[in-house]
Amino acid sequence: MIKKDLELLVSLQDIDLMAEEVGEMEKLGFSVSGYGELKKAREELAASISKPLVFRYERLRAKLKRAIVPVKNDICLGCFLRQPTSIGVKGREDEEIFTCENCGRMLYWLD
Amino acid sequence: MHRTELAKFFKENLFIANLKARRKDAAIAELLDLFVAEKYIRNRDIVLEMLHQRETLGSTGIGKGVAIPHGRTTAASEVLIAFGKTETGIEFDAIDDKPVHLFFMVIAPPNDEGNVYLPILGSLVTILNEKSNRDRLLKVENYADFIALVKGE
Repeated sequence: MIKKDLELLVSLQDIDLMAEEVGEMEKLGFSVSGYGELKKAREELAASISKPLVFRYERLRAKLKRAIVPVKNDICLGCFLRQPTSIGVKGREDEEIFTCENCGRMLYWLD
Repeated sequence: MHRTELAKFFKENLFIANLKARRKDAAIAELLDLFVAEKYIRNRDIVLEMLHQRETLGSTGIGKGVAIPHGRTTAASEVLIAFGKTETGIEFDAIDDKPVHLFFMVIAPPNDEGNVYLPILGSLVTILNEKSNRDRLLKVENYADFIALVKGE
């Protein structure tokens, strides 16, 4: 369940990242005519995730811009601090959502 | 972005001279699977969903036979570009309704070092706006010829 929630949050952030750059995309000549549909998809996705988790995500996003960041080679790609090996082992198993001890962002292991 | 700089984001294992796909969804999946096979991304489903949502926002088929499916995803750690082409052309809901022959898939992490993601997209659009470049790309059969063209050689 936790793993699924984290993956849904990652998808939610991916949509938010897209929405942030709509203006730039339009300037480059890409079609963004479906912005309304994207917003609707975002709302539906957010509604499928537990409310406390979405609240936590939104709070982190407001404070740090990126609420979830990838971890590669035990490095948090939000603040570039190395994560303790013990957390990495648990984090890869996705048994719970871990946060970076330095920047506080939620962590998503890529390896 | 200078073209030699742009060339650094391509890799030989992210190059397909002849795409097997004949439909839009299959073309996106075939290019994405290059990233998956090389372990550049962890979760195929998440990135496929992101690319699908990007097409919901608007087709990345920018016309003149070119599509640039792209997006940032938390399931990637570095900016990379895959290239694929097809002689037959694929219906892609492009802005000019013409089939797409040239595909550049750009995948980027949430934060990218040096903020290169948007300049990369801009450079690709500039290069692909030139008919001579599109014509040459349609003829490339190997990565060496392809990357030479990207570099402007």
